[in-house]
Amino acid sequence: MTFYDSFCIPFIVGAIYMALKVLWKYLSWLRNLPASDLKLIAKGLFTHRTLTATWEVVRESLLHARIWRVDARLGYMHTSLAFGWFLLIVVGWVETIAYLGFRWIPLQGHVFFKYFVPLNNITQHKPVFDFLMDALLLFVLSGVALAWWKRHRSRSLGMKRTTRHNTLDRVALSALWVVFPARLVAESITAALYGGGSFLTTGFGSLLDYFFKTSTLRALYEPSWWVYSSALGLFFLTMPFSRYMHIFTEIPLIFLRHYRLRPTAEEKSYDNFEIEACSRCGICIDPCQLQSQLGNHEVQSVYFLRDRRYKMLQQKVAYDCLMCGRCEQVCPVGINLNTLRLNSRVAMRNTPNEGRYSYLRSIDPSQGSGKVGYFAGCMTLLTPKTLHSMQRIFDAAHVDVWWADRSGGVCCGRPLMLSGEIDAAQKMVDRNRELFLEAGITTLVTSCPICLRVFRESYNLEGIEVLHHSEYILRLIQQGRLQLRHTTDSFTYHDPCELGRGSGIYDEPRAVIEAVGTLLEAEHNRRNAFCCGSSVANTAISDSQQQTIASKVGAELEATGASTIVTACPLCKKAIMRGSTTPVADLSEIVAESILH
Amino acid sequence: MKHIIIIGSGVAGLRCAIELSHLGIRTTILEKQSTIGGKVRGWYKLFPSFTSADDVVGELLRQVTSSEHITIRTECEAVGITPHVVTLRGGEQLECDAVVVASGFELFDARQKEEYGYGIYDNVITSADLEDMFNRRAVKLTNGGSPRRIALLHCVGSRDAKVCQHHCSKVCCVTGVKQAMELKKMFPTADIFNFYMDIRMFGPGYEEMYREAQADYNIHFVRGRISEVSPTIDNRLQIKAEDTLTGRPLKMGVDMLVLLIGMKAGASNALYESECNLRRHESGFMQPRDHFLGNTESNVKGIFYAGTVTAPKTIGESLNEAVVVAHSAAEWIKHTA
Amino acid sequence: MINFGFSISRPRTIDIDRNNLHKSNEIIAAMPELQTCIGCGSCTATCTAGNLTEFNFRKVHTLVRRGEYQGAYEEMNKCMLCGKCRLVCPRGINTRGIVMLIKRKIGDF
Repeated sequence: MTFYDSFCIPFIVGAIYMALKVLWKYLSWLRNLPASDLKLIAKGLFTHRTLTATWEVVRESLLHARIWRVDARLGYMHTSLAFGWFLLIVVGWVETIAYLGFRWIPLQGHVFFKYFVPLNNITQHKPVFDFLMDALLLFVLSGVALAWWKRHRSRSLGMKRTTRHNTLDRVALSALWVVFPARLVAESITAALYGGGSFLTTGFGSLLDYFFKTSTLRALYEPSWWVYSSALGLFFLTMPFSRYMHIFTEIPLIFLRHYRLRPTAEEKSYDNFEIEACSRCGICIDPCQLQSQLGNHEVQSVYFLRDRRYKMLQQKVAYDCLMCGRCEQVCPVGINLNTLRLNSRVAMRNTPNEGRYSYLRSIDPSQGSGKVGYFAGCMTLLTPKTLHSMQRIFDAAHVDVWWADRSGGVCCGRPLMLSGEIDAAQKMVDRNRELFLEAGITTLVTSCPICLRVFRESYNLEGIEVLHHSEYILRLIQQGRLQLRHTTDSFTYHDPCELGRGSGIYDEPRAVIEAVGTLLEAEHNRRNAFCCGSSVANTAISDSQQQTIASKVGAELEATGASTIVTACPLCKKAIMRGSTTPVADLSEIVAESILH
Repeated sequence: MKHIIIIGSGVAGLRCAIELSHLGIRTTILEKQSTIGGKVRGWYKLFPSFTSADDVVGELLRQVTSSEHITIRTECEAVGITPHVVTLRGGEQLECDAVVVASGFELFDARQKEEYGYGIYDNVITSADLEDMFNRRAVKLTNGGSPRRIALLHCVGSRDAKVCQHHCSKVCCVTGVKQAMELKKMFPTADIFNFYMDIRMFGPGYEEMYREAQADYNIHFVRGRISEVSPTIDNRLQIKAEDTLTGRPLKMGVDMLVLLIGMKAGASNALYESECNLRRHESGFMQPRDHFLGNTESNVKGIFYAGTVTAPKTIGESLNEAVVVAHSAAEWIKHTA
Repeated sequence: MINFGFSISRPRTIDIDRNNLHKSNEIIAAMPELQTCIGCGSCTATCTAGNLTEFNFRKVHTLVRRGEYQGAYEEMNKCMLCGKCRLVCPRGINTRGIVMLIKRKIGDF
């Protein structure tokens, strides 16, 4: 047997081209990795990390466990396509060995096995393998059917909206959809003419035999294999340029991630692995409030990654994002969407570094002395009730406070960072850090989650414990330094993005609320909590859009029937006050109101 | 005998009832609160003539109570309105031949502008609080002392997208000038500063009042909106604004801050829209049928509007509208039934 | 020293006839809401950077709209983008967006 026929050409060309292109991409990305990343790979390569990464590849690239958690139907679709196809290849390989023994067979020989080795050519029929192969083909076909159905009726698979694809993706998608039905037809005709096959191909073959004359089937025999081969070839050719690049890219990504590689504030070669591992499944679209509440369908992470990959990213896409993290939360590939969006902004910034903010050097707006520092943050100056309440809490607990910025101070730097101006932000970080260290504080309390996050992530405040006021208040309560009256009041709690998803603080504010009253949870809470819409990360959103989001968020919180809406961020408070008629209070206010004298 | 129901017993409702009684038409005034007279009862003196508010409301109340055609029902809230049946909360239905909606406005809740410190710091008060202090002859600081420096802030809850009040409340500018003059009379040695974005003196004698406040009362006008208020160590208030005419930030300590709160659409207006098919403007105020030829009529024939239910208005304008509505309503019921 | 804005070398008049309004028009076209500014000064009063320097956001963007670009870029670069101005603007102007836009459009004019 030669294992070659002219119809194999499209497949062979496609496969070779794809293999070379993908390899070339990976090698050039790896080559351009910064030395620190390469060091991390070398350190992790021969450790248990490689094993755990392998296990994750099986779980995520083949079985798609995370998508199952989003929606079981969607999970089945992805599993049947990925794992089904994988098994078709593996079992197909074993099948050739079973029939022909251990010997070298060219690639097309495995793929088009049924063509080269129809039943009448071989000595012994192996019904188990034929059955397995047919069952797997059916498994994959069911996935294709679901994928096709999802394109048209995404809702029935648990997605309100699905991705809008570009032309190349459409071509690749169409080719992929044709591959398996074409294989079914080619193998069925072969089974009808030459025997072999199992329930699916034999069954479909006899059906074809019933409807068509044998001469017709004979005439269709060669073309059907041409169609199958061409569909595969076309898919392989488009694959490195389309969304299907994710099929392979997720694998090196998982390994690199296990070796502790991460995207950083500035773009680097590693980002390519994350960007091209995006399958454009569109799961990030539904959680995006700009989409669901404002009807903006252009800026979601899937489109951001696509635009960035094809080097057509526009400012309005990069900047029109709340960075609330709701999409990152559900991304089945675990792409660091916020960091990537951020480093795109960094790449787009146009601010020179020299001499900016030199005026900061001489500024020290701090007052008082004490081991506990309190940083109100710019926004809290516009919610003086929080400041006032913090004062009452500190007084009640007999805490000497160093007030960092009671009548205005230096911004924490995070708003500049979120806009991409990281070098400018560093000047703010440096000045505030200097002030904190000079003051000799051991604890730094802030009531602003935006400040909290940058203090923890970028300030490197050794010897100073940074706490959000929710954590600090809870500690005072637990230490018995703050005696509170438990009332019959009911509260609902809005999780600020920077505090919840951003800093993982969900329980402390809730525990504080329960110390003074009853907590009623809103429909979207904790990890799934809505963003208030006023996030400083979005410099493109309009006031009326912010108002629209605030009203929807406010309505959901009001629906709990709570007498007060509580949050723990000055910006969230301001936003929700615009969107509801129920009183809105910062966590510190309800605590200060309940202090027992 | 024909019967018209008037919703609201503020100056517009009362004046309308009086005019209708002159025309021999029986009216019932429905008032949500337990007392009648509306918000004007809480005011001290009225611009531009410094007429006592009591004189105006008192005269209206005297005429209303002495008229045999007018019935007053307090603690009655209308929840359903058609030209011939008004449904009260509780389900009671009243029959009539026409309805006049004169349910007025609400005062903006200054706590929504948290940065001004109302409800947080001592001596931050609203213009309505000040009127009440005037009436009680009790204008003083919380520590009992007299203010030496007072700031009045215009446009609190008016022309402010941040609290969804895009409209101009019309009366606060002149109220601010009036109250500044009254305060100056009371505390001749005090410095008084009015912080404004625009001064809108559109009415008869208003501009003259403004000029008088500047020339004769030495009131300082600063063009700039206060953005923050914070307490000082000696329990005064520090305010921050930009003095936009010099282009420089300005801060000062004051003893008292008066917030000139705006007029917000009545709380019942949403109900009128959803339950009674009456049209409502984006601002929340009711939308008259036509700005020129049907300014006191609703989009439903037989339902009329008087006063601030349709837009911020002065007391004089509300009273005038009440008379117009009385005549239009009388005309309308003549042609029906 | 108090700067009363007088100088000998440059005329004080904003000469709309001579000023090139091209950039200004571009800025306004990109964010028309800037035209709704009523000059109340809330932004400048609350400004974190304006508290520490002479930065006056209202004045700078107004001058830019009149075609006076000189120094605008350097001034806007004093902004810390903290967003307080956006919270107090009664017209709901996206002030942070404006700062970034003006910086991009004007550059080192």
